[in-house]
Amino acid sequence: MAVVDSQAPGAFWWAVPLLLALVIGLLCPLTGTLLLVQRRLFQANLISHAVLPGLALALALHLDPALGGVASGVGGALVADRLSRHAPAADGSHEAVLNTVLAGFLGLGVLLIPLLHLRIDLEAVLFGDLLAAGPTDLLRALVALGAVLALLVGRYDQLVFLGVDPAGAAAMGVPVARLQALMTLVTAFTVVSAMAAVGVVLVMALMGAPAVLALVGALSLRAALVRAAAVGLAVTALGFGLALVPAINLPPGPLIGVLCLALLPLANLVSRRR
Amino acid sequence: MRRGQHPVLEHLTFALAAGSLTALVGPNGAGKSTLLQAIAGQLPVAEGRIAIDGEPQGAALKRRARLALMPQRTEMAWHFPITVRALVALGLMGGNGADRSQAPCCQVDGALQRVGLQDLAHRRLDQLSGGQQQRALLARALVGQAPLLLLDEPCAAIDPPARTALLAVLAQLRDAGLTLLVSSHDWGSDLEAYDRVLVLDRHLLAQGTPAQVRQTLGELRLAPHGCG
Repeated sequence: MAVVDSQAPGAFWWAVPLLLALVIGLLCPLTGTLLLVQRRLFQANLISHAVLPGLALALALHLDPALGGVASGVGGALVADRLSRHAPAADGSHEAVLNTVLAGFLGLGVLLIPLLHLRIDLEAVLFGDLLAAGPTDLLRALVALGAVLALLVGRYDQLVFLGVDPAGAAAMGVPVARLQALMTLVTAFTVVSAMAAVGVVLVMALMGAPAVLALVGALSLRAALVRAAAVGLAVTALGFGLALVPAINLPPGPLIGVLCLALLPLANLVSRRR
Repeated sequence: MRRGQHPVLEHLTFALAAGSLTALVGPNGAGKSTLLQAIAGQLPVAEGRIAIDGEPQGAALKRRARLALMPQRTEMAWHFPITVRALVALGLMGGNGADRSQAPCCQVDGALQRVGLQDLAHRRLDQLSGGQQQRALLARALVGQAPLLLLDEPCAAIDPPARTALLAVLAQLRDAGLTLLVSSHDWGSDLEAYDRVLVLDRHLLAQGTPAQVRQTLGELRLAPHGCG
């Protein structure tokens, strides 16, 4: 009978993936908005590509892959910062260095998989496998969301000052280096937490697109954050829902990525109307 | 002052009278911003000393609200989602602000009023004109009620009417007893708006009233120029 079937173990298999999708829908746009207003969104892209070597090493050492991913992501950001410090931005050298570090770390991760004789589903790492997510993934995402919210609540004014006037913020005693280090850490944590849901490649869409739409006409960073989170929540819920429609039957990660793409013309339209 | 082994500013001796409006002029790369940052304690001085109200700079800056630095407009992220009022309130961060008898919101209102932006307080920063944006930055420098204001190129990239309006606000602040040091790469007719002028090009070329400076520069065959 249908009633008995719905109460059988495993009938709510979709609950954890759905909750993860919603948490990621909040987490990624919050972090993305924060990075976008600090003009550091590219760092998220760099970190998302740099997590793979650490993830592979952690698996080889029987450690939590998330910890390895975070360490590797932060390491990639530090290496990029170090190598690009003296590269001039005007002729594009700065950008070239950052992109090379990004590709180099990704390449290193791909090489480590056969070298360490690991069995990693690379497709799931890159594009996510939301429907296979478990409670550990959900817990990780909740901890990351808690970290982002703690950063926002504890350092909101400093983040605003740093975003609107970095030099002025430093002059007023805002601990710029410490804040930037915290943001790097939170970004790496966000990327690794979103990996199970949308993968390290598609996470960029969920970090960037809701933020772009939310920032149009927002009178404060707080308003932009709330809007971005609402948009992210709607996009992930819609993407997840569409994935479960039998007629569609497509993986939710890429669906969420495509829905994020649709937000960009919407942002243009809203911006023009203002 | 040095950057690495290279001196960027040397042979500088000058004093700012309390309640005066002083222009710091010189070409691009003359060291104007460097000097302002040094006075604000953001850059170290290799030799010599800076005193504020007769007190050594280090000790003076430990006590808050002795001076405020208004940055160049190129350092600002004008599209950041923030209202004029919220930007001005940032000047009170960390307990900055000398007047404990006033609530922070009153201090912000007061600063906005002094620069004539009270009606635009709830506008987003990027909805203002260039001149209004500069006045918003000036209000942020004012809100902490520091008696010494260091303004880095406040008249840069704004149209002549906005520049005239801003200079009028600076004169009002001077008349209210504030001491202002204002950098500019513009050596034109705007110089007459200042009480004194310092001419800098890695070292002090001339100082005095606008007329004295014009005469000195004429003798040095360095004619004032610019678009002001």
